[in-house]
Amino acid sequence: MNPILRIPIFCLAFITLAMSCSRDTQPSSSYVVETIPMPTDLDAGTGGLAFLPDGRLAACFTRGEVMIYHPEQHDWKVFAKGLHEPLGLWVVNAHELLVMQRPELTRLKDTDGDGEADLYEKVTDDFGLSGNYHEFNYGPVKDKKGNLFIALNTASYGGKIQPNPRGEVNTLGRDGEDGRHQMFSAVPYRGWVMKQTPQGKLEPYASGFRSPNGMGIDPEGNLFVTDNQSDWVETSTLYHVKEGHFYGHPASLIWKDGWDQGSPFDLPITELDQMRTKASVYFPHGIIANSPTQPVWDTTGGKFGPFAGQLFVGEMNHKRIVRVMLEQVKGEFQGACIPFLDNQGLPIGNNRLAFAPDGSLWIGQIAHGWSGDQGIRRVTFTGKQPMDVYRMSLTKNGFDVIFTRPLDPAIALNKNHYRIRHYHYAYRKKPFDEPIDHSQQSNVQPIGIKELHLSEDGKTVSMELDSLKAGYVYELELNNITSKDGIPAANQFVCYTLNNLLE
Amino acid sequence: MLVVLQGMQLEARGVATKDSLRSIAIEAISGMQYDVIRFQVTPGETVALSLTNKDDMAHNLVITAPETREAVVNAALALGAKGPERDYIPESEQVLWTIPVTYPGEKKAITFQAPKKAGAYPYVCTYPGHGFLMYGVMYVTKGDEGMPDLAKDLNVPEARRREQPAKRPHPYDLSPPYWYRVFLEGTSLASIAVHLPHQLSFCWDTERCQLRYAWEGGFLDNTDLWHGHKNAYAKILGTIFFRDPVTEPIRFDDTEALPPVVYKGYRIRDQYPEFHYTVAGKDVFELIKELPGKNGLIRTIRIPDAGGPVWFRFDHASGVTHRFSAGVIQHDKVRLTAAEAQNFTIQMIKQEKP
Repeated sequence: MNPILRIPIFCLAFITLAMSCSRDTQPSSSYVVETIPMPTDLDAGTGGLAFLPDGRLAACFTRGEVMIYHPEQHDWKVFAKGLHEPLGLWVVNAHELLVMQRPELTRLKDTDGDGEADLYEKVTDDFGLSGNYHEFNYGPVKDKKGNLFIALNTASYGGKIQPNPRGEVNTLGRDGEDGRHQMFSAVPYRGWVMKQTPQGKLEPYASGFRSPNGMGIDPEGNLFVTDNQSDWVETSTLYHVKEGHFYGHPASLIWKDGWDQGSPFDLPITELDQMRTKASVYFPHGIIANSPTQPVWDTTGGKFGPFAGQLFVGEMNHKRIVRVMLEQVKGEFQGACIPFLDNQGLPIGNNRLAFAPDGSLWIGQIAHGWSGDQGIRRVTFTGKQPMDVYRMSLTKNGFDVIFTRPLDPAIALNKNHYRIRHYHYAYRKKPFDEPIDHSQQSNVQPIGIKELHLSEDGKTVSMELDSLKAGYVYELELNNITSKDGIPAANQFVCYTLNNLLE
Repeated sequence: MLVVLQGMQLEARGVATKDSLRSIAIEAISGMQYDVIRFQVTPGETVALSLTNKDDMAHNLVITAPETREAVVNAALALGAKGPERDYIPESEQVLWTIPVTYPGEKKAITFQAPKKAGAYPYVCTYPGHGFLMYGVMYVTKGDEGMPDLAKDLNVPEARRREQPAKRPHPYDLSPPYWYRVFLEGTSLASIAVHLPHQLSFCWDTERCQLRYAWEGGFLDNTDLWHGHKNAYAKILGTIFFRDPVTEPIRFDDTEALPPVVYKGYRIRDQYPEFHYTVAGKDVFELIKELPGKNGLIRTIRIPDAGGPVWFRFDHASGVTHRFSAGVIQHDKVRLTAAEAQNFTIQMIKQEKP
């Protein structure tokens, strides 16, 4: 393109951006965000959130408290204390919780009915600890068979192995003397998702995780785990986790049964690439999410709005959470992600999510030395249908973009209202000098729209594209899309991870 | 209008300081903050401003027109996909001067003429997620006008306006006994620190299933540990008077072989934790309290079903004198019958230094 011709287009793009910015700051009346009052003197870095069957909320905080909130009485009570960096909660019943601590998965029981746990039972501590600050533990989540799953963070090159580690130390899982810029696994099962069987045994389940600060099981029983962008994770991910699979961060491989290939960091990238299972969804860094957290499924049956069955994922670095629309293509999950609740009062640091029995979504914040916040927010659907992308589905030659409200054909069928790019996130070892939060898109290409079609109900825009290629993220930008009755679309960017084309 | 100089050039310029040049060095430090949160310049003065990134995340620095910090942060967020290529800096008249994304270890600098108009000119990191916490302010003031009282300065992050008033560390009062599972030195990483009345504390190791050491004085300083983002231990705020050189003191035979131990958990009894573990497959319950009227601890150990004699090993050089409620002392161990082992106590009295 002639460079002179580019200038007005660029300016136009900037003006639309600026306009959309002011538009976005108008709070939507579809959702209301309220701040939950927290107890005085609580350092409210939220490590876990879960609802009790009676509608009370259990929450754990990084200084070791588990507290229970009565939503009607606005009243907090201590359930347990003295825990070591609890980062996950699972409700067994009104008197019994599981909590994931740094050294142990623990069962907390109130056996005398006074509202406070009096029995702190070890469920498992059969995993290593190097004392490295980054060895966070996540979960548990439970499947229908009664298995519990937990995830063990790798250690950071920003901290050493302490002199009193637990478990066998193997520095093959560490890249170089000082750890360089790669997260490492020097004690057993760091970088793994583990399965605790109902018989009480902790077994390695899947490997290749870097910082898997988010676990969830969908209503069908599929386990999903998010991972955080940096070395080997070019942009943050959502993985569908299956037993025995490897998800890409090499450090954990040294704990694979029978591993005899030396430092996994030294394996040829092509070999590692063949071993790994790709993400179901990539969250483009800086666009959708920089540090995704817990996934939860909207099982509210419409109480939380039109997105029933979809998935909401927390995000640390933006004042938002993320909505994920999964579909199965060739038997594997893939799909689109889109911001949710931008500019509606959510802070950053959105770490833990839980749906209340009344269908509201509760979001707990954390910082823990990173960019973040504190406290708990509650998000309620007002009943007003939002104007947003309901889902984005792959078709034979493009995408169907289904909106929650009918569109005006004049807008919906005008190509100028859409812009599509595709890009790829390479699987690679992070260069030594590259900053940890640098994420690189490769082969960024604008993709032309061949044809647009609008369904009779005005909600589905079918886009035929000039080309469609597996292994790319398709980023759709909506420019001034409004519903037929004039409501602007709540979001501008929706990104579809295309792993597989339709047959 | 915008001059980006390398650090070396700034240093050179710094040497040739003229009256009109004001050098300001700002560091991006951990905890999502600039070390310098405000500075003062005079109208029209030449300012040499550098940003050195000592954090482990990337940061930039954008000086904005007065009262437009949040608008610029939001405009930077709205860049979305275009953010990275533009250093997360929006095109806006509200953006006055910028230092582009500066990666850990880097230093970047600019020089500019301070505005002619007095006022509070914010500076902020517009990297996504940073702008709501990481900012400061450049005051352009004439003559002797000072900066506002820091405690009331709404242009700097709230956390930096003053030393925070002393808060309780938890939403409840702490009165002993209470405890933390924390990283401690001189024990395994999976240990429990318990604070007792009378300024006594002890460390119980869930890996070895035993009391490792005890101290008097204050309890713990958890500040570094709670901050996160770096390796840290809780600091012991007292003097250790007991350290057990014996590994796994409870034995079911009189050999040197270490029996397998398995930690099970603890139950709160009358506010104190009673540890439950197995030694060679046999259940052991251990409750440790302050010793009334004496300087030391009392351990109540219950082994409901020992099935035979029990030996408890101790060391005369551990810093305490051991007194057993039952059993026969054989130099550095005591032998108890299964019946005696069902419930016995050990007094551990602190030895006064000669």
